[in-house]
Amino acid sequence: MDKNDKSSKGQQGININVLKQGLCTGCSACVNLCPSMEYYKDKTILLHDCNLDKGRCFTYCPRAPTDFEMLRRELFDPEDMVLELGSFKGLYMTRATNENIRTGAQHGGTVTALIQLALAQGIIDEAVLADNNDLLLPSAQPIADEDEVLEKARSKFVVSPTVSAFNRISRAGEGKIGVVATPCQAQALTKMKVNPVLEDKLRMEKLKLVIGLFCGWALDWRKFQKLMKEKAGDFKIKGMDIPPSNHACMEVYTIKGTIKVPIEEISNCVRDDCSYCFDMTCEFADISVGSARSKEGWDVDKGWNQLIVRTSKGAQLLALAREKGVLEFKKVPDNNIEKLKKASARKKHACLMNLAQKTGNWDDLIYIDSGDPVVRHIRGMNFGQQ
Amino acid sequence: MGNDAIARGALEAGVNVVTGYPGTPSSEIVEQLAKVAEESNLYVEWSVNEKVALEVAAAGSYARLKSMCVMKQVGVNVAADSLLHIAEYGTRGGLVLVSCEDPGALSSTNEGDSRPYAKMMEFPLLEPGDFQEAKDMAKWAFELSEDIRNIVMLRSVTRLSHASGNVIMGELPKDRPKAAFEFSSIPMDQMKGPILAFPTLVDPLRRRQLEKLSKAEKIFEGSPFNKYTGPAKPELLIITSSVCKLYVQEALDILGLWERVGLLKLGTTWPLPSKLLEQHLGICEKIFIVEEGTPFLEDNIKALAAEKAKQVGIKTFFGRKDGTLPPVNELNPDLLIKGINFILGESYQFVSDEYKAKALEIIAAGAPVRELTFCPGCPHRASFWLINSALKLDNRAGFLCGDIGCYSLGAGPCGFSTIKILQAMGSGMGMASGFGKLDKFGMTQPIMAVCGDSTFFHAVIPALVNAVHNRSDMILVVLDNSGTAMTGFQPHPGSPSGAIGTRLPVLDIEKLCNSLNVRVEMGDPFDLKGTRETMLDLLEDGGNPRVLILKQPCALSPIKKGQKMYEMAIDANLCLADLCGCNKLCTRVFKCPGLIWDTQKEKVRIDEVLCTGCGVCADICPAKAIKA
Amino acid sequence: MGKKLSCDPYNLIIAGVGGQGNVLASRVVGDMMIHQGYKVTIGETFGASQRGGSVMSHLRISARGGFSPQMPKGKAHMVVALEPMEAIRVLATYGNPKVKALCNTRPIQSVGVICGDQIYPEKKHIIQWIESLCANAGFFDTTKQALDLGDSIFGNIMALGALAATGDLPMPLNIFKTVISKKVVPAKIATNLKAFGIGMELIKDKK
Repeated sequence: MDKNDKSSKGQQGININVLKQGLCTGCSACVNLCPSMEYYKDKTILLHDCNLDKGRCFTYCPRAPTDFEMLRRELFDPEDMVLELGSFKGLYMTRATNENIRTGAQHGGTVTALIQLALAQGIIDEAVLADNNDLLLPSAQPIADEDEVLEKARSKFVVSPTVSAFNRISRAGEGKIGVVATPCQAQALTKMKVNPVLEDKLRMEKLKLVIGLFCGWALDWRKFQKLMKEKAGDFKIKGMDIPPSNHACMEVYTIKGTIKVPIEEISNCVRDDCSYCFDMTCEFADISVGSARSKEGWDVDKGWNQLIVRTSKGAQLLALAREKGVLEFKKVPDNNIEKLKKASARKKHACLMNLAQKTGNWDDLIYIDSGDPVVRHIRGMNFGQQ
Repeated sequence: MGNDAIARGALEAGVNVVTGYPGTPSSEIVEQLAKVAEESNLYVEWSVNEKVALEVAAAGSYARLKSMCVMKQVGVNVAADSLLHIAEYGTRGGLVLVSCEDPGALSSTNEGDSRPYAKMMEFPLLEPGDFQEAKDMAKWAFELSEDIRNIVMLRSVTRLSHASGNVIMGELPKDRPKAAFEFSSIPMDQMKGPILAFPTLVDPLRRRQLEKLSKAEKIFEGSPFNKYTGPAKPELLIITSSVCKLYVQEALDILGLWERVGLLKLGTTWPLPSKLLEQHLGICEKIFIVEEGTPFLEDNIKALAAEKAKQVGIKTFFGRKDGTLPPVNELNPDLLIKGINFILGESYQFVSDEYKAKALEIIAAGAPVRELTFCPGCPHRASFWLINSALKLDNRAGFLCGDIGCYSLGAGPCGFSTIKILQAMGSGMGMASGFGKLDKFGMTQPIMAVCGDSTFFHAVIPALVNAVHNRSDMILVVLDNSGTAMTGFQPHPGSPSGAIGTRLPVLDIEKLCNSLNVRVEMGDPFDLKGTRETMLDLLEDGGNPRVLILKQPCALSPIKKGQKMYEMAIDANLCLADLCGCNKLCTRVFKCPGLIWDTQKEKVRIDEVLCTGCGVCADICPAKAIKA
Repeated sequence: MGKKLSCDPYNLIIAGVGGQGNVLASRVVGDMMIHQGYKVTIGETFGASQRGGSVMSHLRISARGGFSPQMPKGKAHMVVALEPMEAIRVLATYGNPKVKALCNTRPIQSVGVICGDQIYPEKKHIIQWIESLCANAGFFDTTKQALDLGDSIFGNIMALGALAATGDLPMPLNIFKTVISKKVVPAKIATNLKAFGIGMELIKDKK
C-alpha cells in the first residue's frame, strides 16, 4: 500500500488525515494497542511503520471521521438530549465534604471525592488518573487505593496520555476500571466501547465509569514549559488555575508564592488542535465536572464545582455521594444552564468555523458529519459578531 | 590465495616486522604471518591505524630490519602524511607498503585507487599479475627497496588477493639480523645519520629521491615482470597490469586472436620503463590500455607517447576514458572480450539468444537480490533499533552520523535506515563534532554519532577530544562488540591479546572516555528497556558531548559462536501475525534472519539453523508469543 | 596427473549464501585437484558479502593453467549450489544449454523476503527454472542429515560428495581425506568423511 494513501484506515490514515492535518489532540487512544504508536513528551509518535489498511488506531481515533449521533444513540436516553450540552439529566453544584480533599484538589474536589467513593464502594477496582509528579507533563496512572487518589488531584493543563494507560491496564486482570477523561479522551473511549475490534470487546467491558472534565483547551507542553521556565524559574509548581475570564490571567502556585501570567501569553501556548474541538462539557461521560460560576463571585466559586449528570450510572453515583455525605450540594443559580449552553454553543460554532475554513467548504467538516443534528442546530444559531 | 602468496614472498625475502590495520581484501596477509611469527622470527602487529602501522614498519626499516606494512586502499590515505616523509628521506632495511585494493567496491564504500601516491610521492610501484608473481614480486620488492634505498609499493586487487592459484614456493632464509638505529653521522648520510628534513635539506633530499627513482626505472627496463607476448607487428597492442593480464589472456584465448593482438604485461608501473614502452609503442597504431582502478597507467602512457611522439608516431588509444571499457567498477573477461571486439570490429556471443532470454525471464522472479544484513544475534540490530526509536520518540529530527564497520549497515534497511551520513573511518564522530556547534545558526536537531570499538581507537579519539574541548552538543555511541568484526575479528587495543596471540594490556574505552570528564554511560544493547531509558535521558541532557558505550560481543566472536544464550520458540496460538496489534513486527520491521514468515501457517517461525538465541525478538513481541 | 578432464579448463561454480561454508568447499576441491597435478585458479567473493549476501567461487581446473579467477559469462560446466535461489542467479549469468547443476533445496530467506518486500518463489518453480537452464540437474536437501552430524554447515561437504559421485571431476575419497585433514581439527575429520560419504549417495538414483 502506498505510504501516502489518504484512504488508509490504519496508521497512514492517522498520519495523513489526523496528524498532518493538525487535528491530533493527544488523547492517546491509538497508543498501547500495538508497538507501532507511542506517546512521548506530549506528541503522538509513529514509532514503526505499519502498512495495515485498517487498524484500531484509526477506528478509535476521535479525530478520524466519527458518527457522533450514533454514539449518542448508543450511550444515552434520547429524552435527555440537549443539543448544546449533550445528554442532560441534571446540573448540580457540589464540593467535597472533606476539607482535606478541597485543599489538596482543584476547586471543589468533586472528581476526587467521586473517584474515592467509586473505589470504596467497589463500583470500580482501579481508576486511571493523570499523575501529579510533573504538572507540566503529566503521565497517567492506575490507582486502586482510594487514599492515593488525592495524591493525583489538581488540574493539569497539558494532556495526559490517559487512554493509552487504560489500553495497557485493561488487557490484564479482571477488574472494573474507571477513567477521568477530557472530552476527546471520552469520545475515544466511547468509540472503543461502541465498536470494539477483535478482543477489545472483552477489555472494554471492564470500563465501568467515565468522569468527564469540562475543557476549553489544553496547552502544548514545549511552549508552556518554556513559558513557565521564564516565569517561575526552577521553583516547583504545585498547581495552576484559570479564574473566570474577567481576571484575564492564569494563576500558577509555586512554593515561593502565586504568579499571575497574562492570559495572552497562555493563549500562545494553546494546542492548535483545540480549535477543532466540538465538545466543551465532555458529553460522552457518565458525569461531567467543571468549575463553578455564580453571583457569589470567584472567591466563593473557586471552592465549588458544577457537574452534569448524563447517564443513570452517573445519577446513581451522585445519589450515593449524597447519601454517604461525601459531597455537599448547593443551589444552582437559575440561569446557569443557559449560560453553560451558550458557552458550549460558542465553542461548537468556533470549531465548525475553523474546520470549514480549513477545508473551504461548510459541508466538509473533516471528522464531523455535516448532517449531524447538533451541527445543523449550531449553524442555524445566531452568534452576532464573533 | 593471492594474499598467502604475498605473505610467503615476504617470508622468503626475510621480513622481520609486519604491521597493518584490518581491511578487506588485505587482512589475510598479516593474519597468515602472525601464525608463523614465532618460528619465522617476526614481530607482527595490528596497529591502531594505518598511519601508525606505517610508522612502526618504518622504525623496523630504520633499525635495519626488513619491514612490511599492509592495508587496503583507503589505508594509504590515512598513512599518506608519513608516507610522504618516508619516501622523501629514504629507507634502510627494505620497506614494502602493500596496498590491496577493491575495484568494484565488493567490500568497501569506495573504489579508491592508491597507485597515484607512487607518482605523487615519487617511489616505485609494483603490480603482480598472477599468483606466482604475487609471491615472486613480494620477495623482489624487498630487494628493490634495499637496492634503491627507498619504500616500494606493491599493489594488489581483490581478484588477486582473494583468489587462489598454483604457486611454486622458494627457500626461506635463515639469518637473524640485529636491530640497531644509527644516528651519529650527518643528516644526509641515509644509513648512519639522524633522519631529519629541515627546509634547507629538502632540496638535496629531493634530488636524491629522484635519483633513486631513476635507478628503479633502469632496473625496470630489464625486469622479467614486464613481458611481451604476441606477434612482432600486431594489429592491436594491449598494455595491462595486475590481474587484468589473466582477463586479457582468457579473452584472447576465447576469441582466438593471439596472431593479431600483442600483450605487453607490466609488473612495474611506476616509474614507467620508458625505453621498453617506447619500443613497444612503436609496433602498432592501436593501443588498448587495460587496468583496474582509475586511468593511472593510461594517463601516464599517453603522456609518454606524447613525449616520444617523434619516435613512436601518432597513436589511437583505447581504455577506460574513451568508453571501450566502463569508466568505473571492476573488470572481468567478458568486458575484455567486448572491448577487444569493439576495437577490432568483431563480435562474440556468450550464449544463444534463446538461453539469454530464458535466463532474463527467470532471474527477475527467481533470484531477488540478497541485501546485506546483520547476522542473527548481532548486537548492532538491537543498537540501531534503540537509536532509531529514541530519535523518533525525541521527535526533533535528530540524526545519526555513521562510521565504517559491520555497523555501517545501520544505513540500510537491516539497520532501520538509522545512519544518515557515512564516509570514512572516524568521520562520523568528526562530523558530529561539527554539527554539534551549529546551534548558533539555529540548528535544533539532536546529533548522534556511532562507532565501533576498533574504529574508536583508529580515528575517533582525536575527533572526540575535539568535541569535548570545543563543547560540542552531541552523543557518541560506541558499539563495543569486542573486536574488529567486519574484517574477520582481528584484535585491537581494547582486546586482551595481539596479532600473535600474546597477552597484552587492555585499553578500556570507558576509562578513556571518563578521563575526558564527560558523561559516560554503559549499556547492554540486548537490554532494550534499560538502554532506551538511558538514551532518552542522554537526548534530554545537552551542552557537552556525552558517551554511551553499548557492550555486547559479536554473534560470530569466539566467545559466542556455536552457543545459544536461549533456545527460542514461538507459541503460534499467541502469535498475532498480521493482525492489528502487531502486523508482523518481528519479521517485517525487526527483520532478523533467524525469523521466518511461514506463508502456509501464516505465523512466524524460528529458523533453528540461523537463530543464535540472543532473545531480543522475545522482548519485542507485543503478544509475548516468542519464548526464550 | 589424474584422468584427462572432459574440458580444459573445467569451469566449476560453487554458490551459496554467506556463512554456508562456500569458501571451504571451493578450497577443498581446489586442493584435491592440485594434489592430482592439475593447475587451479579460484576466484572468490567474500568480506561484506558474508553478511547474508550472495557468495560464489569460480574454479578453473586445467592441465595448463593461467586462467582468470572470474570465468567468462556462459562458460560454466558445473554449478554446485548450496542454496536454490543462488543456483538461479549463477546459472542466469554463467549457465549455458550444456551446464550441469547440483542443488541443495533448503531456502535461506533474504532480508527482503523476511520483511515482506520480496516473495521467495515456491520450491517447485525453482526446480523447474533450474532444470530449464541446465542439461542435467540433481536436487537434494542436506539439512537434516547435516544437523544430525552436528552442524548445518556440513551440507557443503555433502554437496562435494555429490559432485564426486557425478564422476565429472576426479575426486577420490582418499584424496579428500588427505586434503580435509589439513583443513580441519583432527576431531572433525571423521565427521567430514561421513558427510562426504553421505553426499556421494545423495543423487545416486537420480542421475
